[in-house]
Amino acid sequence: MNDVLFVILRRLRRPLIALIAAYAVSVWGLVLIPGVDEQGNIVHLGFFHALYFISYTATTIGFGEIPYTFTDPQRAWTVVCVYLCVVAWAYTLGSIFHLSQDQTLRDALARRRFARRVSARQDPFVLIVGYGQSGITLARMLDRMGQHMVLVEIRGERAASIEIEEYQYSPLFLAADGRLPDVLVDAGVTHRKCIAMVALAGDDDTNQSVAICGTVLNPSLRIITRVHTPMAQANLESFRNIEPVNPFQSFANNIRLDMGSPERLRVIEWLSGLPGGACPESLNLPKGHWVVFGSGSFPEYFVAAFHDAGMTCTLAELDSSQQGGGMVLQYKAMTRETVLAEIGKAVGIVVCTDSDALNLATVNRVRLINPGIYVVIRQAHAANASLIDASMANLRFIQANVVSHKVRQRLTSPLLIRFLKHLDEDSGELARQTAALLEQHAGDKVPFMWVFDCFASYVGLREALAPEVDPPLTIGDLLINPEKPPERIPAVPLLLLRNRQEIALPAEDTRLLSGDRILFAGQRGGKELQRRFLLEPSPLTYVRTGVEPPRSWVFRRFLSRDG
Amino acid sequence: MNLEKVIFGFFVIFACTVNFGFFIGDLGDVGSHDAGHLFAALVVNLIALVLKFGDRTHLGATHLATSMVAMLQLLTASLVWMWHVNISQLAMNEGTMATIVSLSGGALLANLISVILLISETLRQTR
Repeated sequence: MNDVLFVILRRLRRPLIALIAAYAVSVWGLVLIPGVDEQGNIVHLGFFHALYFISYTATTIGFGEIPYTFTDPQRAWTVVCVYLCVVAWAYTLGSIFHLSQDQTLRDALARRRFARRVSARQDPFVLIVGYGQSGITLARMLDRMGQHMVLVEIRGERAASIEIEEYQYSPLFLAADGRLPDVLVDAGVTHRKCIAMVALAGDDDTNQSVAICGTVLNPSLRIITRVHTPMAQANLESFRNIEPVNPFQSFANNIRLDMGSPERLRVIEWLSGLPGGACPESLNLPKGHWVVFGSGSFPEYFVAAFHDAGMTCTLAELDSSQQGGGMVLQYKAMTRETVLAEIGKAVGIVVCTDSDALNLATVNRVRLINPGIYVVIRQAHAANASLIDASMANLRFIQANVVSHKVRQRLTSPLLIRFLKHLDEDSGELARQTAALLEQHAGDKVPFMWVFDCFASYVGLREALAPEVDPPLTIGDLLINPEKPPERIPAVPLLLLRNRQEIALPAEDTRLLSGDRILFAGQRGGKELQRRFLLEPSPLTYVRTGVEPPRSWVFRRFLSRDG
Repeated sequence: MNLEKVIFGFFVIFACTVNFGFFIGDLGDVGSHDAGHLFAALVVNLIALVLKFGDRTHLGATHLATSMVAMLQLLTASLVWMWHVNISQLAMNEGTMATIVSLSGGALLANLISVILLISETLRQTR
């Protein structure tokens, strides 16, 4: 507050002094000039009366001449006073209005207000730097999930659009450069309720600086960063808490999985969808020869993915540099004829340049040669959705959607990421088992995810986790509904984390130890039911023995004497 | 020579001297304390206060604080005066005048500190 107040006071110094001087001179004059009362005696105005008179005269209110009718010299002086004071007031008011329009001051005020509101945040929030297409998609998604957010965007008009957007929980936002450390601090990077920071700024360089800046300011904060090139990804992977998300790689990876082991992809998508949503279908990409059109790093990810999946693939690199003022379809290092021949024998194409018009044109040309071909198209700009609709592509890559999907997946729970890694590395057996268990217990919708912390520090678990307890506490016990046993909570334990050791799909008779963390996937409400086990011992005893233990001391004494 | 320093020094010292001019004289003697003097002290102090706005140094903050103290005391003194004469409609008496003058004495002390700060700041300049 101090800074802004001082700026205001400093700027208003001149007008304030002018005003004080005008008042002082006017009051003094009125006190010095003699007046007469009704009897004709000479009387001088007191300072109080003079100030009173000037106060209403200077502000052009005009209550009249007090306490006696003025003499001519007094009136003459009053004329001087009126002009003097009105000008002084006009000058002061003008300065105040000018100051209130001053962009620097308004920015400073907005920044201050923002910082104050962020630091007053009581609920956990996610800080998103960059409100571009991906930022908007992610913000909307997180908002639907009831997550509070703080947004930082460098472009003023973009930041202003946050206000118009309809959010359930209106996010705090600031138009500033997220690369500056003090902006990040004001936005809550060091706030104890900040769960994670997501860097979705325009280019890789900016995202890298934001992420590194964030991790230096708060080394324990999770930072998720969008990157596009393998180099940026490698740069950031050396930091412990920075998780790069590469939409190109993720999408290409999905294609690889779909060709190699569709059931794995299905389970991964199933677990990482929007909770409560429908389970995704597999893509069923045709197997055979593929042609990739594009430029930059994106097509290379596809080429690698196709090769990994055992397909053959040709990269037709498009030269999208401006030639003769327009976008020209030209191939680098390939003749037109070779490309045409490649298209003729291909089962599918991937078109992924940065320009929607170019993508569309390429698809149309390819269809002329090979009408039945499978088309994967990139939609570079959200506004061009109808343009891309017209291409009737079989599969569409929208960066914003992939990024927000991946980021949300990571924000759900770090344990989910570990489980997905297990799925990714496994041959496919794990995926089949997971799918079967989920279908059996949690239904076919996208499940909700939560982590159960099995710590002996919780009052409810302390007794059950003691080593001499028989039978020992198992995961299966946690799956019994404490409201009506032996009914089961509709949930599946996905991963057990014990001293850095990860057990995927732990068996339900696995004995639990203190310090275990279990990732559950299940229907809404399962988390709340399991929370009861933590708060006090009776629900756990009840589900394990079927007997509701007495809660009060008297009843416990009574029962123990009885037994 | 820096004009800003001249104006600043002028008002700080002027505030102190005018204040002194009102304060000097027998404490309760109505005749030796003039309303015009008090008004002048008030106005000059107000200007000194505004001049001190916006200085972010530690010394500047202390300067501002002394001026605020002086203003508070002088305002109280003039309010006492106004209350007695214009609201209670009484002739000025010795007791009230003593109160007013002692209040202005406090303001004088604050103004003296302000002057001391000004002098010490000047002496610290090693140019």
